[in-house]
Amino acid sequence: MAHDRLWWRVAWRNLWRNRLRTLITASGLAFGYLGAVLMVGVSDGMLVELIENGTRLMLGEVQVHSEDYLPERNMHRTIGGYEGTDLEIFLNQINSQEDVTAAAPRAYGGGLLSSGEETQAALLMGIDPDREPHVTTLLSRVVHGRPLVTGANEILLGSEMVEQLGTALGDEIVVVAPSSDGSMGNDLFTLVGTFDTGIPAIDQNYGLLALSDLQFLMAMDPARIHEVAITVGNAQDSPRIAETLREFLSDTELPVQVSSWTDLRPELAEMVSLMNAFHFIVVIIIFGMAAFGVANTMLIGTFERRREFAVVRALGTAPIGIGQTVVYEGIVLGMISLVAGSLITWPILVWLHNSPIDLTQVSSGFSVGGAQWRPVLRVEYSIESPIVAGLGLFLTSILAAVYPAWKATRVLPADALADR
Amino acid sequence: MKTAVRTTNLWKIYPQEPDPVEAVRDISIKIETGDFVAMAGPSGSGKTTMLNMIGGLTRPSQGQISIGDQEITEMTDKDLAQLRLEHIGFVFQSYNLLPVLTALENAEFTLLLSGIPKDERRKRVLELFNKIGLSGLEDRKPGKLSGGQQQRVAVARAVVANPALILADEPTANLDSKASADLLDVMERLNQDHGTTFLFSTHDPRVMERSRRLITLVDGQIESDKRQNHLSVSS
Repeated sequence: MAHDRLWWRVAWRNLWRNRLRTLITASGLAFGYLGAVLMVGVSDGMLVELIENGTRLMLGEVQVHSEDYLPERNMHRTIGGYEGTDLEIFLNQINSQEDVTAAAPRAYGGGLLSSGEETQAALLMGIDPDREPHVTTLLSRVVHGRPLVTGANEILLGSEMVEQLGTALGDEIVVVAPSSDGSMGNDLFTLVGTFDTGIPAIDQNYGLLALSDLQFLMAMDPARIHEVAITVGNAQDSPRIAETLREFLSDTELPVQVSSWTDLRPELAEMVSLMNAFHFIVVIIIFGMAAFGVANTMLIGTFERRREFAVVRALGTAPIGIGQTVVYEGIVLGMISLVAGSLITWPILVWLHNSPIDLTQVSSGFSVGGAQWRPVLRVEYSIESPIVAGLGLFLTSILAAVYPAWKATRVLPADALADR
Repeated sequence: MKTAVRTTNLWKIYPQEPDPVEAVRDISIKIETGDFVAMAGPSGSGKTTMLNMIGGLTRPSQGQISIGDQEITEMTDKDLAQLRLEHIGFVFQSYNLLPVLTALENAEFTLLLSGIPKDERRKRVLELFNKIGLSGLEDRKPGKLSGGQQQRVAVARAVVANPALILADEPTANLDSKASADLLDVMERLNQDHGTTFLFSTHDPRVMERSRRLITLVDGQIESDKRQNHLSVSS
């Protein structure tokens, strides 16, 4: 133990023999830490943005359907079959789950929209105007007009659909849709608002109606819905939550299928996996570069102290003891760098999280798998990535010390004392 | 009398181009326990190489070395380190104190390696410092000590663990006359008080004069080996 304390003391003091060199090396590691944490933070921000836009906009993070609804989306395959289900009880059951934040029922249909001389095919989505905003941000994308009111035969259209139809707020839209009884339902709806999601597939094709209005149009019982969209606390936990919900709902004897967004948007899930792997590679590259820098500095320090190593060998230190002190220097350097890195990283991280850098001047963003990424450098942080990066930094400084330590153990005392 | 050091047909050949250098050639010596021996000779005569081989810092090309009753030529590096820790103290020409440690920490270094408790370490070092005129300098780093003071710290470091053998390589080479005389007094006193065996390499006539046995090397071989009258410690 006394040994150990001696080597720690020697390591600590050795580091401060050349303050400037130690500070430069520690700064390199600290900035490597900043780079790694920031890179992961920016990347996480992009992922969260993509996931949020891919799920929060319309999808929800978990969805419940009748087990045979997907992938054909047959209008007759409603939850609970032709009888449907008691919606309030069903939604309460879902909401009773610990990780579920909110749930909203939906129905879908295909139809034709006409205004004046123009007619367009549309996907009709029936939503609960009160519940939907707790699950998705779709209604917050209404850029002109106002949201829907249930029972008033109102419709919201995407901005591009409005252009195609040549219609305007307040105009009447004729909606024709196949009904569940085999007939064709048709009715007049008033355009009360337009939405702009930035995703052409949605803005060109969707028409939003109040759930009960769509059910009436399609001659569906109010107990019949096609989908329950659910939002959860953490989107990345969706697969686990979907599994839990699946097990829970299996007890209700309703033949349902529970899917997480990773099932519903596999291309987005792939993108997330790819970016997580990319994180890992970039962090390895950053710390790999730092490791060579630290190893180089420590190697120089080791060569400079060959004579001292020879002296402590002559005094009775085993070669392993010499290596030990060099590794301890790496550990102490790692600790100094970690403290410095944390001190510079956290304020920058919090600042960037609260004030994302707007890149709209240089980029217009992109969309992946129906999820849009706005060109805003959003930084997300958790306790996890700084800890992992801290361990990476620590490991880097220790690994960087291993080769110099090995070289130190190989010093030939007689040669070093004679400056050979 | 017991033998402290014995070398038998010792050779050290450095493989250099174009011709290997024979630094030590077939040297056999026996040094008694408690002796005060100087190994003299011009530069390149093999003095330092002999000390390094006896201290296990470099391995002989041929021949055997025994320290006390231990044959060391086949020992591992780890065992040699342990042997030095327990039985051998080193004093170097250029002091070679560790610059990051204070005088006291330098002096107690071998005690620390031996696992001696802190109180005991401090007691032994302070007593020794008092004996060799280093009291009050305990907390100074080597850079704040004179050459003579540094060399006395180096001697304290070498003797504090009471090794049976002290190997001193040109210990007075960097010291003025007064500091040299003081240092030799210190070493003679330790030799007399503790029976520690001293083996110096030197070309300093003052050291040669005060040794009890003078071995002269030339070109890696013993030119002469004689006992001489020993002068007592100066007052």
